[in-house]
This record gives sequence, C-alpha cells and structure tokens, in this order.
Amino acid sequence: MIASSVTTPRTRSGLNRSARIIGFAVGAIVVYVVLLWLALQVVDGFAPERALPVAIQQTINALSIGAIYALIALGYTMVYGIIELINFAHGDVFMIGAFLAVVLTGGIFGQTGGVKDVPFLALLLLVALLFVMPLTGGLNVFIERVFYRPFRHASRLAPLITAVGVSFILQNLALLVAGSGDRAAPQIFPLDWQIPFGGAEISVLSIFIFALALVLMLLLQTFVNRTRLGRAMRATAQDQQAASLMGVDLNQTIALTFLLGGALAGAAGVVWGLRFGFVRQDLGFNAGLKAFTSAVLGGIGNISGAVLGGFIIGFIENFASSLGFSRWSEFLVFMVLTLVLIFRPTGILGQQLGDRA
Amino acid sequence: MSATNGASGEAMLVIDGVHTYYGQIHALRGISLTVAQGEIVTLIGANGAGKTTTLKTVSGMLHPRAGRVRFEGDDISKLPAHKLVERGIGHAPEGRRIFPRLTVLENLQMGAFSRRDVKDLGPDLDRVFTLFPRLLERTAQLGGTLSGGEQQMLAIGRALMSQPRVLLLDEPSLGLSPILVQQVFETIKDINRQGTTVLLVEQNALQALSIAHRGYVLQTGEVVLTGSAESLRQNETVRKAYLGED
Ligand SMILES: Nc1ncnc2c1ncn2[C@@H]1O[C@H](COP(=O)(O)OP(=O)(O)OP(=O)(O)O)[C@@H](O)[C@H]1O
Ligand SMILES: [Mg+2]
Repeated sequence: MIASSVTTPRTRSGLNRSARIIGFAVGAIVVYVVLLWLALQVVDGFAPERALPVAIQQTINALSIGAIYALIALGYTMVYGIIELINFAHGDVFMIGAFLAVVLTGGIFGQTGGVKDVPFLALLLLVALLFVMPLTGGLNVFIERVFYRPFRHASRLAPLITAVGVSFILQNLALLVAGSGDRAAPQIFPLDWQIPFGGAEISVLSIFIFALALVLMLLLQTFVNRTRLGRAMRATAQDQQAASLMGVDLNQTIALTFLLGGALAGAAGVVWGLRFGFVRQDLGFNAGLKAFTSAVLGGIGNISGAVLGGFIIGFIENFASSLGFSRWSEFLVFMVLTLVLIFRPTGILGQQLGDRA
Repeated sequence: MSATNGASGEAMLVIDGVHTYYGQIHALRGISLTVAQGEIVTLIGANGAGKTTTLKTVSGMLHPRAGRVRFEGDDISKLPAHKLVERGIGHAPEGRRIFPRLTVLENLQMGAFSRRDVKDLGPDLDRVFTLFPRLLERTAQLGGTLSGGEQQMLAIGRALMSQPRVLLLDEPSLGLSPILVQQVFETIKDINRQGTTVLLVEQNALQALSIAHRGYVLQTGEVVLTGSAESLRQNETVRKAYLGED
C-alpha cells in the first residue's frame, strides 16, 4: 500500500526535533547556572565552591516559577492563536483556580500545613488538580460562551473591552466571597522537604512543580500535535473558514481551546498556593501580567513560545532575587520584553499561529 | 438516504431562486440551477459574475437571504458549512486555502475530518496519491511551501478525502502551466468517472466545456444562458465573450 510508507519520515523528523529541544533546554539551564555562579561571586562575593550549590538551588527555583508562568501563558497564547483575542480575564481564571484549591484543601479537607504522609499527600494533590482543573476550564468555556462569542464578528476592540470587564467581575467576585487582603493557602507540600546539597538546599516542592508542569505541557503537546482534534485546532488557527469546510465546528474548537487554557491556569493556581502560601483577589493581575509578558516574549500565538517565554521570565526574576535585587525584577522583565520587541516585534519564536507545539 | 435522488425525484443538487448578499451587496440575484447525480456541470462567466458566491452558498460558507438550496431532497440553505461536509458536499475553495503550516499529510487528514468513524485512511490516501503522485513525495512538507500547482493538487486531494458525493471546484486550473491544466482536467474526469458528481467553476471556459456535460453562464448574479456543453461551445455569444474568439 502506498500510504503505509507515509508515516515513517515524519516520525523520524519528530524525534530529531525533540532531541534538539531537549538539547537546547539542557544547554540553557547549564548556561544559567554558570551565569548565576559567576554573578554570585562577582556581585555578592561568594567563594566559587560555595556559589555553585546556591546557583543550582536557585536554578531549580527559577524552573518552578518559570513553569507556573508558562502554564498560565499557554492559555493566553492558545486563545490568541485561535481567535486573536487577548483574554485579559485569563489571569483571573488562574486566581480563581488558586482560591478553589484553598477551598478544597483547607475548607473541605481541613488541612493547614505540610502533609508528611506521602500517599495521602499524593492523593490530596491529585484530587486538588482533578477538582480545580475542570472547574477553571469550565469557567473559561463559560466566559467565552457568554462574553466573547457574541462579539466574535464585531470589531476587534469589543471583545477586548469585554475581557477587561470580565477580569473585574472575577476579581470582585473573589473580593465578595473571600474579602480583601491575603488569605492563607495551606501549603500541604512540606516546605522542609529539602535536599541538602553542598551547603545549599534544593526544594523538593520546586522539583515537583517543575515536573508537574512538564508533564502537563507534554500532554498538551501530544494532544495538539498528534490527535485529530489537536490537528483541527491548529487548522482552525491557520484558516477558520477552510477548517469549517473540512467539517470542523468552530464553536466547539474554540470552546476546547478555552477549556485547555483554563485547565492549565487552574493547575498553575493549585501550585501557586503551595509555593507562596497565600491567595488574594488581585493575584491574577500580577501573575497574569507576567504570564502575558511571557507569551508576548515568546511570540504570542505560538505554543512553544509561551513555554520558552515563561521560563525566560522565571530566570530573569530569579536572577534578580538571587543577587538581592528582587525589587528590580519587574524592571528587568519589562526591559527584556521591550528590547526583544524592538528587535523582534513578533517575539522570539514569532507569531506562528497554529504551529506544531 | 437515497444516493441518487430525493423523495421528489429531483436532481441531486437544486439551487432554486437563490439571492445571496455580502452585507448590502446583492451578489446572487435569483440563481436557479440543478446538478444531477453523476454529472459534471460547469459555471462560466466573467470576473465578479457570482460563480464563487454560488459555490459558497452551496457549501454553507454563505447563506441565501431568499431562495433555497436542496441537496438529495433536503433543504440545506440554513445549515453551517461543517455540517454539509458530513452530508457529502466537498468544496475546494477559490484560492486553494491550504493549511500553510500543516504538512501535506496533515492537510489530507484534515480533509477526512468529518469521517470520524473511519480509522484507516490508507485507501483514501492511496487514491489521492495515485491521482497526484507528486504529493506522495512531499507528505512531510508544509502545505505553505508547496508550489502553486502542488497546492492546487493538494486542495483537490484534500476535498476528495471527505469522500464527497458532490465536489465543488473553484478554478482548479488557476495558475497552472498548460501541461498541468490538461492533467487537472483529466483528473476531474477521472474523479467523475469514479462516481463523484462535480460542479466546476472555471475561467478556462473552453476546457471546462470540453469535459462537462452541461453548463451555465452567469452574468452579474444571474443565469443568462444554459444548455449542454456542446451547445454552449457552439453558441455565438459564449464564443465571443468567454472563449476569446471574435
Ligand atoms: N467578501 C465580499 N464582500 C463584498 N463583496 C463581495 C465579496 N466577495 C465577492 N463580492 C462581490 O460579489 C460579486 C460576485 O463575486 P464572486 O466572487 O462570486 O465572483 P466570481 O464570478 O467568482 O468572479 P471571479 O471569476 O473573479 O472569481 C462581485 O461583484 C464581488 O465584488
Ligand atoms: Mg471566483
């Protein structure tokens, strides 16, 4: 049969591509460790052998915060990719996710701190993700259905303004239910689980967050690249009318995109509480802005770009805070964004809407 | 569902007094035409006559403001495009509309999107690759990097992947070299011989009339002339206006 010969070359090029990406990621991490190692010596006067473990410890923290930004950024970028809307309410969906996790682990399960019983902790985390992700995904689908779909054929500006309005609604909803100020989030993942490492300590929580995000991103990538619906999503992002001529239901595909983005933001919300120990109604504004910046930095509409951008922002923030310049981290983030956009207006990887992830 | 005719015994595709608008622009002014099972019917006419609009109105990309489109006996005027593919209407639209950053293979798989129950697309892919061997050498190439002619082959192949009962082709020979034009028309004849009804829009009126059974001449949104392909080829007006003779 002719067609049976068709799949082989694609699989091979796919493998090459994964190898290149892993190579790039490992290289980038090593470069960052070395940079931070040098900077710690130059700026903070660390001895070389003392600076290395600290640099490695901080790099792992950077990967975990970058992973959170990347998870949120994916929702901005996928929605932009498919309907060219900046979903300003996306950060607030993440915030709702963080609140829902608190409601579940603190309110329903009555947890207040670290759970040292590993199977029970694993169960709690799994239940939290399975509870929050469908809810934030569903919330995002609801937002699209009610607030954005009616404006789909209107001017570009109308849904954008609606999105800002939805953002306010969600924030005020949280304010109404939870009140203003910080609410404690139960840090059920024990913070004192640290791996001693040459005088520094590596946070197991950071490793967990990074690993979880990685798994979710690989699942997303597999879905987008390898499944019938994922292919339809990419096709829709490239040419909506042509996709509908193939039998793709645009409404369903757009809803699916919001579902996936909302679910990933929900997962980010769950781990946010674990790492930072508080939730607040304006959480979505701050983290959302960083995640949005990540998406723009990587090339909005581009799935790989959102992940790359998230980690870059994580690294920049971590670099500043490791050296004791936390207050400058925002400034640095936006300076890098400005520079990148001056020289590459479409972001690092470009606005390749509907590309393979 | 009966494969040939609707309950009333009418033709497979019936366009009945259709008026289609783009906002205020009245593009189709009461067009009526029929396509019977197994036919190749061609629409010819000058630029802006409404040929593309007619095909879009059939495939559900546009909806008529008045009049009806019936397919196999059912009124489909109000159905969205994605439902019509499932019913058996394949449309290779004007301008090819290949997914530029899907591979050739993925474009073809998208063509079969509506056939969710089918697990093995092998036989369908084989058919397309037999018609267009060029595509087989390029399965892993991105659609947007194909040459114009290759994109045209892909557009036709992609439309075939849905196993349409009627295939709407909008200027399939546009931008092709003379040899390829010949080949595309041969292919359309093959596709038709294999059982697919074809509604063909062409600038290349002479070629279109040479493979079609019947034709309609459109002018500013109306049918001004119709008949067998042979009679249209002999027609004085058609020869002057569309076949470039004087
Ligand atoms: N998107 C649109 N918005 C407004 N008017 C349109 C649009 N598309 C087509 N028209 C108008 O509708 C009329 C019919 O256009 P149509 O594309 O059907 O012509 P056509 O016969 O396919 O011409 P061609 O041979 O140039 O492809 C034209 O007057 C055209 O200007
Ligand atoms: Mg046209």
